[in-house]
Amino acid sequence: MTDTWPYLDVHQSRTHEPTPYEYKLAATLEEVFTREGHELTDVVRGLNARQVHAADGSPWTEESFRAEMNRLGA
Amino acid sequence: MTLSSSATADHIYATGLRNQWHAVVPSHFVAPGAMRKVTALGEQWLLFRRSDGALSMLADRCPHRGAPLSLGKHLGDRVACWYHGVEVEPDGTVSSVPGLPGCSLEGKKLVTSLPVREVAGAILAYFGDEEHPEPAELTLPEPLTDPDVDAFLCYAEWDAPWRYAVENLLDPMHGAFLHHDSHTMFDGDTTAKFRIRETARGYFFEKTDQRGVNFDWVELCRTGVDWVDLSIPYPPSAGPGGAFGIVGMVCPVDVRRTGVFFWRYRRVQDWQRASWRFLYRTLIEQRHWDVLEQDRVMLEAMPADADQRENLYQHDLGVVRLRRLYRAAAEAQSTAGA
Ligand code: FES
Ligand SMILES: [Fe+2]
Repeated sequence: MTDTWPYLDVHQSRTHEPTPYEYKLAATLEEVFTREGHELTDVVRGLNARQVHAADGSPWTEESFRAEMNRLGA
Repeated sequence: MTLSSSATADHIYATGLRNQWHAVVPSHFVAPGAMRKVTALGEQWLLFRRSDGALSMLADRCPHRGAPLSLGKHLGDRVACWYHGVEVEPDGTVSSVPGLPGCSLEGKKLVTSLPVREVAGAILAYFGDEEHPEPAELTLPEPLTDPDVDAFLCYAEWDAPWRYAVENLLDPMHGAFLHHDSHTMFDGDTTAKFRIRETARGYFFEKTDQRGVNFDWVELCRTGVDWVDLSIPYPPSAGPGGAFGIVGMVCPVDVRRTGVFFWRYRRVQDWQRASWRFLYRTLIEQRHWDVLEQDRVMLEAMPADADQRENLYQHDLGVVRLRRLYRAAAEAQSTAGA
């Protein structure tokens, strides 16, 4: 039984340490949201323009981006 | 009962109000089939979870001679005290005295057991004193029950009195100073006028001249459990969905320790929800944490007599109102002087 005080844990929402791919995608997504806008079309265009592609290397479509977000943000 | 109505008002004020619900610890602190010792409202408790997930909260005190049940053994559907083996059921009934079968303790409900509920990843318990054992009606914060709202719980333990943690939330103006270098509270005026607006369940403490820029308002809600609601804008990098909100609760652990519960929530659906959740886990949670650490550093460094030697001004009305309310409740709950 653990009973240590204080509990101070930065990361309480993660299931795993993000992979380099996830870090890169997140950082680019923030940049895209900041510079390109908040619409799905803006995001897909912005990611592809920065050559930050899906894990298999293919350019994003709205469908593939949506599916990947649903996987990573479940 | 463990919590006595003859406690002094000072003791109640220092260790937390009785006869209401409080958040205790996150649900995952007690795995199925496990138990965990916790301190809350200045007393020792045992959280006990059966393997099917059913949770109970018992006074951590063996009914025989007072040994902590938390040192005992989890027997699946009951706990056995390590000292002489007395077995206690989740509702506090002694089921067996192994050393003296048929002993009159058997079948008696001798251990306090608190009503518990699990809400959005946290364990809530009702801390009634001996005159109020029946749980108060509990209305949960809407952001935690609204299906269109998504929330992450952040729990942390601070070496500061519980009331300082609540006062900090009723003091929105600190956002523009203490958190000026944060990802969310860099903007807005560093001067403001505030007002108190009473509601049926508590009060708003809000700026009269700015909204939607910094930490501009907070609502104290007393709905069987005490909580605050507030909203803070995100920068554009956080994507669609607008501001995030915080539902905050505190667990008064003892006179100088507090468990804080912050549910960061956002009204987002579909891919916008998923992208926020992804960014939150990967990058944003750390930034929220850094902001919270600023609060912890400040509150833990406050001198013990901080609230005895103050010079308050208009921005502190929310705090003054809170103290008056809590002080009156503590007086009302104490029959010590009666
Ligand atoms: S003190 Fe627990 S069995 Fe004796
Ligand atoms: Fe703060």
